[in-house]
Amino acid sequence: MELSEKLVTGKGRFTDDINLPGMIHLAFVRSPYARAKILKISGGLTSEDIALSVSSVGEGASEGFENLAHPVLAHKFVGYVGQPVAAVFSENQYEAEDMIDSVDIEYDPLKAVSDPEESINFEPIYPGLKSNTIVDKWYGSDFNPERSQIEIEDRFVNNRIATNPIEPRGVVAAYDGSKLTVWMGTQSVHSIRRGFSEAMKLPLESVRIVQMDTGGAFGLKGGMFPEYIVAAHLAMKEKRPVKWIETRREHLMASRPGRGVIGKVRLFADRNGKIHGLKGDVIVDNGAFTGGSGEFSPGFIAQQMAGPYKIDNAYVRARSVLTNKAPQGPYRGAGRPEAMYFVERMMDRLADELKMDPVDVRLLNAATEPYKSPLGYHVEASKPFLESAVKELNYRKYAGRENVGFSFFILYHATSGGESARILAEDGKLKVWLGGNAHGQRHDIFVKTLIREELGVDEDLIDVQKGDTDQIEDGVGAWGSRSAMVAGSAVVIAARKIKEQIQKKAGKYSVDKLLEGSWDSYEFYRYDRMESSLGANLVTADVDHLGRVKVKECLAYYDLGRVLDPVNAAGQNAGGVVQGIGQTLYESLTFDEDGQPMITSISDAGVLSADLVPKSSIKFHKSESDLPSRAKGIGESPTIGIPIALSRAIEVATGLKIRETPISPEYLLSSSGKK
Amino acid sequence: MIPPPFDYFAPTDIQEALDLLNKYGEEAKILAGGQSLMPLLKARITTIPYLISLSEIRGLSYIDERKGALHIGAMTLDCDIELSGIIKKRFPILADAAGQLADPLVRNMGTIGGNISHADPSNDLPAVMNAIGATMIAKGRKGSREINASDFFIDTFTTALDHGEILTEIRLPFWGNSSGGSYVKFKKGTWNFSVAAVAVQLELDGKKVIRSGIATTSVGPRTLKMEKAEKFIIGKELTEDTIKQAAEMVARDSQPASDSYGSEEYKREILRRITTDAIKNAHKRAGGE
Repeated sequence: MELSEKLVTGKGRFTDDINLPGMIHLAFVRSPYARAKILKISGGLTSEDIALSVSSVGEGASEGFENLAHPVLAHKFVGYVGQPVAAVFSENQYEAEDMIDSVDIEYDPLKAVSDPEESINFEPIYPGLKSNTIVDKWYGSDFNPERSQIEIEDRFVNNRIATNPIEPRGVVAAYDGSKLTVWMGTQSVHSIRRGFSEAMKLPLESVRIVQMDTGGAFGLKGGMFPEYIVAAHLAMKEKRPVKWIETRREHLMASRPGRGVIGKVRLFADRNGKIHGLKGDVIVDNGAFTGGSGEFSPGFIAQQMAGPYKIDNAYVRARSVLTNKAPQGPYRGAGRPEAMYFVERMMDRLADELKMDPVDVRLLNAATEPYKSPLGYHVEASKPFLESAVKELNYRKYAGRENVGFSFFILYHATSGGESARILAEDGKLKVWLGGNAHGQRHDIFVKTLIREELGVDEDLIDVQKGDTDQIEDGVGAWGSRSAMVAGSAVVIAARKIKEQIQKKAGKYSVDKLLEGSWDSYEFYRYDRMESSLGANLVTADVDHLGRVKVKECLAYYDLGRVLDPVNAAGQNAGGVVQGIGQTLYESLTFDEDGQPMITSISDAGVLSADLVPKSSIKFHKSESDLPSRAKGIGESPTIGIPIALSRAIEVATGLKIRETPISPEYLLSSSGKK
Repeated sequence: MIPPPFDYFAPTDIQEALDLLNKYGEEAKILAGGQSLMPLLKARITTIPYLISLSEIRGLSYIDERKGALHIGAMTLDCDIELSGIIKKRFPILADAAGQLADPLVRNMGTIGGNISHADPSNDLPAVMNAIGATMIAKGRKGSREINASDFFIDTFTTALDHGEILTEIRLPFWGNSSGGSYVKFKKGTWNFSVAAVAVQLELDGKKVIRSGIATTSVGPRTLKMEKAEKFIIGKELTEDTIKQAAEMVARDSQPASDSYGSEEYKREILRRITTDAIKNAHKRAGGE
């Protein structure tokens, strides 16, 4: 049965579908306070039983800050509401949840801080800490903006949002006396294996990770979490399988949300719109522990802040600050949407200041040839792309309308590190494994295309497998818009290697020789550079007399290099549009003054319902990459381009300056009569 | 998300349900679709040791056109209210509200009686009951009694039902030929509950209003009947100015609190605007301009 059909007819097999004999169900007692001392715990498994901390793996993983690493179970202190403090278990899932009430914990609540800017000057949230600022770096170099005639400044906020895959986190762990096996939905069995191995001090070869059908991930399922380690620890101790499945409430409180970044930008330009320099200040809301992406994010954002433009002078401060919230993690885009939002909103500001067309300002500042931005990253020649985008999106027809927004961005793919693939020919069929594990993107489609092209095999004979560390030696992960590029290239090279094996052993290559024999080819395609591609969006939206936004059209023009599968690429776009609108209009994880989460149910998490999804369409720019797959990435493009263009459309429609996502309906109501 | 343990009863006649309710007293609660109670139990916000479901009792689901009133069984599903031809014709205000209530999955399971008796200030149907001037039929061990909608909604999660009573029927008195109503609900994007909503029912004689019912949702501890605005428009033509003044009265007499849905002032402003929309639409449906 075709994969999509299987998943939508209830025939998928997810982690929670696993039921093993003698299986134990795990439940967590979580902190009701954002910041407190733990005075006493009676009952349950505690940090006395499992004195480990979570190791940082996956996208944006970081080293160091051992003292700020997330303890598996809280030790002496709690740093956010929802932090696991104790664990209880039973053969019966119902009983396990009832047992939560049997654990008695005494806390001494302390004043919490949830606003990152406030936290900079707030007392350190843990004893022994000098400051809550854990990253403070400068990128680029300071410059004298004297010759600039115009100086504009603004401050933007992308509030925190939950990743909210349909399937929440979960694991089943089992131990046979020598090997720990963990079944789970994931983006990377190999990162997860490293995470277990490092945190539990187990040799890599004694841990096996098996990927189940994965119901969405968006960055969440590449990293390690405390609950996973408790499950594994208990499985090894009790010699029984252990299951833990996250509830939506737990997901909203205690998984790692994305965004949560403030950007202050000052732009220096001359009166005809040419930018001379940019100064910025980026503040990342790290949350209460390291191990998420909060240490990596600020620098990653700062270095992208020339956008797709030629900016000769730039100087950006990049900070990450502890707050009494769950640690920040990667969410579809993971630093890219934030950086481009800050730069692109300033391009609109500059256009307004000079009463110029916003796209003309962009054209004036687009890079005419490739260069290395003063902030660090390579910027490709972006002007020719922008010129075709203007044509392909028919921008001049829309220009000047009172409901249109445009965005232009550069997507930095996480290609460095490369990726692996294995092709096994056996019994007249081909099995394929990738180092990065698909979680809804349908990588199987491009894998089949590439193998058919290389080896001439009928696609029906190719079976793309889920991740399993026992089946493929090593791998990186499926994130950062990288899979078609690096995993695709690994597939191409692994296929060519099989061809060579056959040629060596049996002379001239033929499909029959391949299918009659038994061949095995593993390739780790090493790649050290970060690649990039360009994208543009055009969005139209209306705002009614009650401040309700109706998104009408979401048009995209993205450089995909070689388009391996246009239908699936359009699918990636459609899903990203939904998340881009969600971030811009509805989704946020808000907290009260005491650090208590205000959003605890899917009904107020702001995820779009089907009736709010607009028409979206995509056109491809096909400037092929130099990689063997010749592809470029798309996964994160819509979550970068849509919030920018939609914010602008609303700005034009209401006459209100848009500085924050999600845009508050209350703010929009104040627009009446303004235009 | 698993509820704490509870005992579940599904009696097959109303008398048995009343006996169980009496037997377990304050520890028992009626389950009439479960779309509010089950989430509260699963989130462990509340504990109810004894749940008495009405789902197995026959004859509690109907929409009957009787002389002078529409009789609706308390266990009639919200989706059946939403799609009923007679309700669309006689009380479009109720079809409006039922069609916007939560989401289709909830409407397929939830009931009119459950929505009304739960008395959540954000539930949509109480305001409609107030605007129409519905009568609630409450059955107890000693027999039935009638309660006017205006006396029924006491406070948040509190109605005029005695503990041993069950709401079995809702009666909607027919309004005259030149009548019409409208329910306008304002939600924040994807959120389930409204920031504010308003129900307006009008009857005209020529251009003048001769009867009116106005009530709100989500802007007070319970649905609020807007008596001042109701009286104000009686005998008047619905000019822009009259509508504006009525909407202002509704905004002023509401009792919104600042919370994650918005500030008090924002809610009043929304109410001003949706009341204007609702009066205009009700007026149109009543055959006015």
